[in-house]
Amino acid sequence: MPASSIDTFLACSVMIILVLSAMAGASKLMTPYISGLSHRNDAERFQQLASHLLLSTGIPPNWGQMRETIPSSLGLAKANSFLPYELDIDKVSRLNSENAYSLTYSELWESLGIQDVAFQIEVRTLFELSIDLISNKTQGNETIYEFEVATRKSGMAVSADLSGYVVIEYFVDNVTSSTSSDGAGSFSVNIPNSVNGTTLIVVFAKAKANPQMVSFNVYAFGHNSSTPFLNRTFLRLSPLNYVLNVSFTYPDTEILKAQAFTFNYNFSLTEETQGDQTVEYSVPYLLDSSPMIIVLTGLNGSSSFAECVSYPQLPLQIGSNFSQSIAGAKIISQSHIVTINFALYEVMTKWGGTA
Amino acid sequence: MFNKRGQIRIIEAFLAIAVIFSSLIFTTVTFPSSPNLAKQKSLSSFGMQALIELDVNGTLGKLIEQRNWTAIKQSLDISLPIGVSFNLTIYDENFSPINSQVIQNTNLLGRETVSVQYIGASQSQNIQLFILRLQLAWTR
Repeated sequence: MPASSIDTFLACSVMIILVLSAMAGASKLMTPYISGLSHRNDAERFQQLASHLLLSTGIPPNWGQMRETIPSSLGLAKANSFLPYELDIDKVSRLNSENAYSLTYSELWESLGIQDVAFQIEVRTLFELSIDLISNKTQGNETIYEFEVATRKSGMAVSADLSGYVVIEYFVDNVTSSTSSDGAGSFSVNIPNSVNGTTLIVVFAKAKANPQMVSFNVYAFGHNSSTPFLNRTFLRLSPLNYVLNVSFTYPDTEILKAQAFTFNYNFSLTEETQGDQTVEYSVPYLLDSSPMIIVLTGLNGSSSFAECVSYPQLPLQIGSNFSQSIAGAKIISQSHIVTINFALYEVMTKWGGTA
Repeated sequence: MFNKRGQIRIIEAFLAIAVIFSSLIFTTVTFPSSPNLAKQKSLSSFGMQALIELDVNGTLGKLIEQRNWTAIKQSLDISLPIGVSFNLTIYDENFSPINSQVIQNTNLLGRETVSVQYIGASQSQNIQLFILRLQLAWTR
């Protein structure tokens, strides 16, 4: 074989190897860019999905009020509302797994109808309210409890007006107070020693800057008794369509009083129907820009209890658990301010990969 | 022994590969780094939503009429997510600024901002129009 042919063969081989390696290098360089292009519109797509969820009523438009109905199209907006981002109190309550008529994540996912997307919905108040019992002393035939309250949004102080209620057995009392510019406040309540058992302190906070920004919290403690019973020990409370459905955990449970509280008002609920191990109360419509806390006090044998539920049933979190996602997975989180019954809340939606 | 034609071809191969790689380097350098439009869009969405929700029941118009700039600033503080800086200017119908006090949480100087414009009205008998310009930026 002539020497020139060997040279040519070698040169061609080197050229082919180098061209192939150049192509491989090029594809390696281009891959992240091309893959980035394919996910370029994800954020906008998820933003549109979140807007759709909060601006459309879903099908049927009043699916929230229909106890057993699973919507064929998911949307949380209130039907016939003239306000954008006004959500339906019942649709929101049905997202809470503690509600007897709640929808599961798989039902919500099917109703949304987007196969390649997993999501999480979280609804909460615009700022947080914390309550701490700091002291108690007996004076005559009553006990005085002193509480410390803090109103904050992600650590930032919020100045607010406070309205608090103390509920135990048949006893109800109202106190008002406020938090200063550093978000700290306090109030005290007097409870007669003739009653005993689980006592609830229901507190509402209204931001001084805007009365539609409301937060709430409930603090439970034992008055003349040891530790309080946990919420949902004796009752399962499910408010929907302005009717409170109560189902008893134990057959020999007696209800003493059913009351609803808002920032400005409190009133007794009227019993509507009674079934086997269930009872229903009608809940009045209110124009107060405040969530409603419904408290039921009762007896189970000699144990006095007090249990509560908020309407809309908050805070809630439903959907995919993104905290266990694969590292590097793209998750987009969006925050929206919404109106539910004249009060403002925050809806956080998280969107990501394949469900 | 290799002859000169073979050596030239090897040099050609290296030259070709140099051309391919240099073109690759050139293209990667000149790939436009797309601005993060999604982040800016989400900022303007936060801003517009905050203004819409603060104006539910005419609250925002009422606060402007009362010249309660502190309450407007506090409302925005609560409504906007932590990590968002804002500056709000309120104009009357003639585009003259009416807020005598700066409504902002931090200075926006030197930041990439988005601007949202919202038109509101007072709820009183003599209806007044207000133009609100909200500038927003992510806190670094």
